[in-house]
Amino acid sequence: MIVMSGGYRQQPGGAGKTTRKDGKRVAGKQAFPPPGSGGSNPTMAPRDLDFIPEMVGGKEAQPAGAHVHDRARTGTSVGKPTALVDSNAKVTGQAWYGDDVRLANEVIGKILRSPHHYARIKSIDTSKVEALPGVLAVATGADSPHQFGVLPVTKDEHAMAVEKVRHVGDLVASVAAVDEATAMEALNLFEVEYEVLEPVFDPKKGLEDADEPIHWRGKYHLARTNVQKRVFQEFGDRSLVEKPLASSHGKWKMAGVHHGFTEPHAVVAHWDPNGRLQLYTPQQVPHYTHRALATVLDVPMHQINVIRTFVGGGFGGKSDPFPHEMCAAILARKSGRPVRITFDREEVYWINRGRHPSHIEVKMTADEDARISGFDIDALIDGGGFASFGHVTSYYNGVLATAPYELGSFHYTGARVWTNKPASGAMRGHGAVNTRCAVEVGLDEMSEQMQVDPIDLRLANLLPPHSRTISGFRITSNGMREALEKVREGSEWDNKFRQMPLGKGLGIGCGFFISGSGLPIHWDPNRFPHATVHIQVDMDGGVTVHTGAADIGQGSTTAVAQVVSEVLALPLEMIHVRSHESDTSPVDLGSYSSRVTFMNANAAIRAALEIREQILAAAWEILGYHPNNLVLNDRRIYYKHDPAIGVSYLKALHKAQEDKGALIASGAYRSPPMGGVHKGAAAGLAPAYSFSAYVAEVDVDVETGIIKCTKVWAAHDCGKALNPLAVKGQIIGSCHMGLGQVLSEKMVYGRTGHLQNPNLLEYKIPSVHEMPHVVPIIVESCDPEGPFGAKEAGEGPLLPILPAVVNAVYDAIGIRLRDLPLTPDVVFKGIEKAMKAADVDDPLDLESPRVTHGDLQPILVKRAAEHKLRDQARQRSEDTSQYVNGVLFGFDPNIPLEDQVEGWRTATEPDPEQLAELGLAGKAWLKKEQRHMGGDE
Amino acid sequence: MLMPPFTLHHPTTVDAACELAAELMAAGESFDWVAGGTDLLANYKWHINTKPHVISLARIEGTSTISANELGCMIRLADLTEANGVHPVIVQAASKVASSLIRTNATLGGNLCLDTRCFWYNQGEDWRRSIDWCHKADCGTGADCRVIPNQNTLCVATYQGDIAPTLMVLGASVHLIGPNGARTVPIDAFYQLDGMKKNVLEEGEFLLKVTLPDDAEKRTGSYQKLRVRDTWDFPEAGVAASWIEGDPASLVIATTALESIPRCHPDEVAAIFADGWNGAASVKALSSAMQKSVKPVNNTALPPRYRKSMVRVLTKRAIQGLLE
Repeated sequence: MIVMSGGYRQQPGGAGKTTRKDGKRVAGKQAFPPPGSGGSNPTMAPRDLDFIPEMVGGKEAQPAGAHVHDRARTGTSVGKPTALVDSNAKVTGQAWYGDDVRLANEVIGKILRSPHHYARIKSIDTSKVEALPGVLAVATGADSPHQFGVLPVTKDEHAMAVEKVRHVGDLVASVAAVDEATAMEALNLFEVEYEVLEPVFDPKKGLEDADEPIHWRGKYHLARTNVQKRVFQEFGDRSLVEKPLASSHGKWKMAGVHHGFTEPHAVVAHWDPNGRLQLYTPQQVPHYTHRALATVLDVPMHQINVIRTFVGGGFGGKSDPFPHEMCAAILARKSGRPVRITFDREEVYWINRGRHPSHIEVKMTADEDARISGFDIDALIDGGGFASFGHVTSYYNGVLATAPYELGSFHYTGARVWTNKPASGAMRGHGAVNTRCAVEVGLDEMSEQMQVDPIDLRLANLLPPHSRTISGFRITSNGMREALEKVREGSEWDNKFRQMPLGKGLGIGCGFFISGSGLPIHWDPNRFPHATVHIQVDMDGGVTVHTGAADIGQGSTTAVAQVVSEVLALPLEMIHVRSHESDTSPVDLGSYSSRVTFMNANAAIRAALEIREQILAAAWEILGYHPNNLVLNDRRIYYKHDPAIGVSYLKALHKAQEDKGALIASGAYRSPPMGGVHKGAAAGLAPAYSFSAYVAEVDVDVETGIIKCTKVWAAHDCGKALNPLAVKGQIIGSCHMGLGQVLSEKMVYGRTGHLQNPNLLEYKIPSVHEMPHVVPIIVESCDPEGPFGAKEAGEGPLLPILPAVVNAVYDAIGIRLRDLPLTPDVVFKGIEKAMKAADVDDPLDLESPRVTHGDLQPILVKRAAEHKLRDQARQRSEDTSQYVNGVLFGFDPNIPLEDQVEGWRTATEPDPEQLAELGLAGKAWLKKEQRHMGGDE
Repeated sequence: MLMPPFTLHHPTTVDAACELAAELMAAGESFDWVAGGTDLLANYKWHINTKPHVISLARIEGTSTISANELGCMIRLADLTEANGVHPVIVQAASKVASSLIRTNATLGGNLCLDTRCFWYNQGEDWRRSIDWCHKADCGTGADCRVIPNQNTLCVATYQGDIAPTLMVLGASVHLIGPNGARTVPIDAFYQLDGMKKNVLEEGEFLLKVTLPDDAEKRTGSYQKLRVRDTWDFPEAGVAASWIEGDPASLVIATTALESIPRCHPDEVAAIFADGWNGAASVKALSSAMQKSVKPVNNTALPPRYRKSMVRVLTKRAIQGLLE
């Protein structure tokens, strides 16, 4: 039967049905509903009890106990695999990245870069450049003498070089011209006179006095060295390390690596008709750029609007305020036109901020009970030409090794030196990655000496949930044990480890990382929150969320949308996150230190709860039932004992809006007071920590030294997976990035100090062929302070892959390699050495290691079983007062350790008698600061 | 990454191309040939030895012939498949060139005439300025070689093509054509030991096609490539071998990516057969001899000592079939 149209199709209420069989509305046939009845499905979905915690009447299991946010759960979004809300824009090519911004009348900026490693600029003659037709503005260091830097304590950068250039590629001058070709031509017309200075490339040399240190810190400068930061930390009883049962001493050399993000840096600066600066940039931390711009340009912050474009990957490499952003703003001001600067890949490598090239030495000991009596870590890190995040990195290389294991003592010396190379900075797993690798490999070595299984060694030495590390970090939720158990089971560890033929190996590695830095860099956390989120709900029912959190592809926008959707029981499509502009976003610290989900989502929950309260209060007025007896579910509010008595979300909302119009709420997050009082106690402090354990399986070609990682079982404790799809993506992506560092990626500095591989052909990021099959395993320890229990999943998952692979290579060929990356030539050299030692001609005749468990093994298994019960009790107990590192060694947690253990100390400077025995970086403590040398320049 | 401006010419016949070349030469204008562009244009973007004119071979008719005995210069590497009747050893090498995306554009002629590579040379303009240029692209400064300083007589940039050694072990010839006529050269005489001159092509000449002898089909063999990643990367060392089944004495071996030219190693092979073929022991001896015969320098991703060591392993693997 053919049904003829009953009238004008756009008219409401015409003939024919208004809904299809599948419940969707027929286009043009809907009875015009009140604005925004919400969502594309007119029918309320039933409550999804599988995603409502059992403590509040749902079916979602809660092995770790109740959570403070349980009552805010509606079963709408949290815990469900969700495609990122910006994925449509990305897969259809409509996302606007830095270089996609096109403003009317834009001109192109180009940067003149230093051809010298280290030189004093004697003069810059720009007259020929200015005379070139098509050139609209020229800028040099003289245009802005103000220094900036990501950390307030180490502002050592200029928009363009003032006085000195500090590495090849350092910014000297910039030019804006009508097109790229003219700008490039203009670069050849600058006449710069340099006085070349003696460069430093080797970080070991950086510890020595120099004629011309790369920077000068006045009275705080360490003698005349190039040391930018030195750290000394000692905790615990050092006498415990005497007469160890087992020990490991590893000297590591780790090459610098770059983030390798897809999108090169790009920026567009425009001074609008009102004289305000509009700056478009793919930034992880727009707020710091905002601050730095104000300083450099001498303009108040409120006259600047920083617009974060889509970010084509950051991984820490887009979290500094950058000199080219300053250049664009200066050129735009001078030319009166919008200026766009886009980097070539080579320029991306020159601005760098990748992981520090490092010399790391780790000594560790275990006592007769296979307890870890001491970690002794020394890290000399190569900072390149500028400080960047280096102050923090210097601490992280030590302090982030103080967990997840209970330690008898901890000793760390670290130094970061300036060299005439592109600046190192923060990169995914900031500061923790290299030391973590060294530590985990040391544990592997000690377990071999003690004839115990390395997983059991770890299981019997873990800190429990709700404990405190030796350095005073507060651990809350802790899924380390479960992660280890899961990968052991998944990988069939007990049937494979030390049992596979030559060339095949299995290795374990663990990870520990901060979930948000506890200290906001630029302000006192007691006076301004870490994160603020604003929510606005207007007449149409759609929810607009304003946040400054920068989505850098990790899915922070989706996470914020999800938690708001969860609290308000609205479909995700009704939540609109606005996060691009500093004009409309509340101040946020940005995307670094894995803080966004934890801090931002917490703030968003608080704001959403306030809105929810207002809507429920309105429903109370309409229905007559107290909100305690009302259920909020999918755009409808009803009486919990009779769902027929209810009101639509929109009706309740409009009721709530009667007197005030749009509902507006603001939520904030600040971390609780915590941590010790010693110098540097704030470094590494976080409101929660993530834990992970990976097992990697490798195939080593013993004839060529080529390593293939074939499979990885990757367990990560993210507290609660708000979006399991995104968490798995982060785990797999972390494996890829970490594999690059352990197998093939390195910034190669040749014999002349030049970076030899500033391009994606020679900088060897693993391809799809090198990618192993990754089995992501999500562990949910339910963090008491995390949003719905969540912790970070963006950086921590990178850590374990490195040691897991290095340990697996040992299992495969019996060779311990400590020179990363393990490129085929490095492995082959090790194989040749092993052949010589074993006196064999053919590498195929080498023997792979085998193990027979000794007497300690059953003792460890028993201890681990006891600790498992201890941990379960601590996790679920109402009393989560802290367990203090040291209980394993028989100390009383209720008495300060200094009072009960003779020799227990907390020190941040070496004793004079220690000076003789310090490691490589520790040698920085042999020097005095200028103020103690009578110098006060 | 703007390329400097150049005039692109599109001749449609071989004669027109030669005529155009002759005209430009007469006018004193320099030019480059371009086929797929995956090598030349990457260098142009880095402003390396750019020319004001570029002559494209893409529209010249009859340059894409594929058969067992004849391969045109414009054949895309992706089309070098066994389905097209191409010798399996060539197919093996072609399928390992760069990435699948690049192979759809890159051509056989381009791969054979690949510019030699060096990490002091394949860099952007600012970068090369920072090392004060190098011998191969000295920008008029007369700069020294950066790989082996104090000898600015010879460029030691490395030839990193994959396909040439396989054509060598199959006895192929290359057909060159230019304003001064056509000539045919055995492929092992095509390359010249100089990273700048690279091969015997005279100005105005280009490689038109490759022919293979009839008995190439009887040959079996293998190509072994060393690289860090299984895609994208140029070979760090490559060994090709072929022989007539059941006749070890017919063995021919060639190497690539170890020196400025790919080359055959007849002396090393002859020395082994002088003592008589002795199965596995001969394979071992030949592998060691091959390792000793190559002299890589430090200008690619992996260190030369390692690349040299790997020649032994690659040779062993390339001729493993002889033992079956």
